[in-house]
Amino acid sequence: MHIAIHCVAALGLLFVAVTGRIAYRTARAFPTYAERVVRAVENPVAIAERDGRPRSERLGRITAAVGRVTTYVTVSVVLSLTLLLTSHLLLVREIYRREHIERELHDANRELESFSYSVSHDLRAPLRSIDGFSQALVEDVGPALAPEARSHLDRIRTATQRMGQLIDDLIGLSKVSRSEMKHERIDLTDLVGQIVVELRRQNPDRQVDVLVRQGMTATGDPQLVRLALQNLIENAWKFTARRPRATIDIGQSRDEEGVTAFYVGDNGVGFDSNYADKLFGPFQRLHSVSDFPGTGIGLATVQRIVHRHGGHIWAEGHTDQGACFYFTLG
Amino acid sequence: MNEILLVEDNPDDVELTMRAFRKSNFLNNIVVARDGIEALDYLFAAGAHEGRDVTSLPQVMLLDLKLPRLDGLQVLERVRANPKTKLLPVVILTSSTEQRDLLGGYTRGANSYIRKPVDFQEFVEAVRQLGLYWLLLNHPPPTV
Repeated sequence: MHIAIHCVAALGLLFVAVTGRIAYRTARAFPTYAERVVRAVENPVAIAERDGRPRSERLGRITAAVGRVTTYVTVSVVLSLTLLLTSHLLLVREIYRREHIERELHDANRELESFSYSVSHDLRAPLRSIDGFSQALVEDVGPALAPEARSHLDRIRTATQRMGQLIDDLIGLSKVSRSEMKHERIDLTDLVGQIVVELRRQNPDRQVDVLVRQGMTATGDPQLVRLALQNLIENAWKFTARRPRATIDIGQSRDEEGVTAFYVGDNGVGFDSNYADKLFGPFQRLHSVSDFPGTGIGLATVQRIVHRHGGHIWAEGHTDQGACFYFTLG
Repeated sequence: MNEILLVEDNPDDVELTMRAFRKSNFLNNIVVARDGIEALDYLFAAGAHEGRDVTSLPQVMLLDLKLPRLDGLQVLERVRANPKTKLLPVVILTSSTEQRDLLGGYTRGANSYIRKPVDFQEFVEAVRQLGLYWLLLNHPPPTV
């Protein structure tokens, strides 16, 4: 559709240019024609003698030439106007089409919003009941319960809390898509520093060497970019848990097209590169929950944030040889 | 009158909240309203609560947002619009932390916003702290 509009508009413009040039040349040539006509009228005999042609023939040729030019100009003008009008109509149609899509998108977004609103209210309430009354049962008749029954109740509670976590993460993911985007200058080095300080505070027993490249900046939504970096760094932190000397490297390089790409690399358990495409799907996990806790929503969130910035994300890694996540921000 | 008005429609949540208050020995201080209209009737001594002595107000109202008939935010609006209750401490106690609930609550003059945790032990702890804070630590506004 776009190409068609461009072609028609370009043709229209071409014809306008051609018509303009003809009109210009005609106008410039006009005094010469006029002079000849005047001279022919004033001194028909002399001219006829010099040119060896009768006056009527000369006048006829001049009139015919003027007629041809007029026809040519008229046809060009009509043609170029038609083409321009057509391209205008095509554009108007395209605008209507887009407005329609925009309205549909807006409706879909509103639906998503009310859906996640209802999820965050209504899906959590029954979970609270399941967890609360299981706990009540443990408290009220706990000593009388067989160990197996108690363990069943514990499992109910664990599963309930996990579901609560899943719901929260899902809502978090949909918030990432719904929130208004800001475009501000962000000091990434400073941001990374804050995230790492917080992780060290929460896990004082972990020994992790974190290398952060100085002077990294980007343009984007500060809250979303923070969330993305937090997810990536927390992942690196989590998947290096079994390394006696854990290393996390955060810096920048360039992608194939020369766009600045930021990366978070680690020397953790890595991943099977055959499943690299599964990394970013919601609820996709490449490690079991018992090995490494989590709901599998982190990288999906990061990918969505990166896409909202017009960037892309990819990962390199091998089983037991660490992982490195790269992303651009448009 | 050391009293907490709990506005909650979900019977499970009422039961669990009462259980949590019982654990912290605040049970005698709880009044339950099952929806927004009942809460307003209690506060303004109307409907089923007609003739109730309204010289003193509860220390705090714990307000759920999703309620039948009149929802939590509408209740809050009416409470703030009435000179008798406009200073009543109101704590929103609900399931979500959706942006529009937080904003809607605070712009209408909520004093606090608590999200009910799924984990019952966390819920008990939250309720205990709520009771301690609003019944013992906080000084309510003088009666108008």
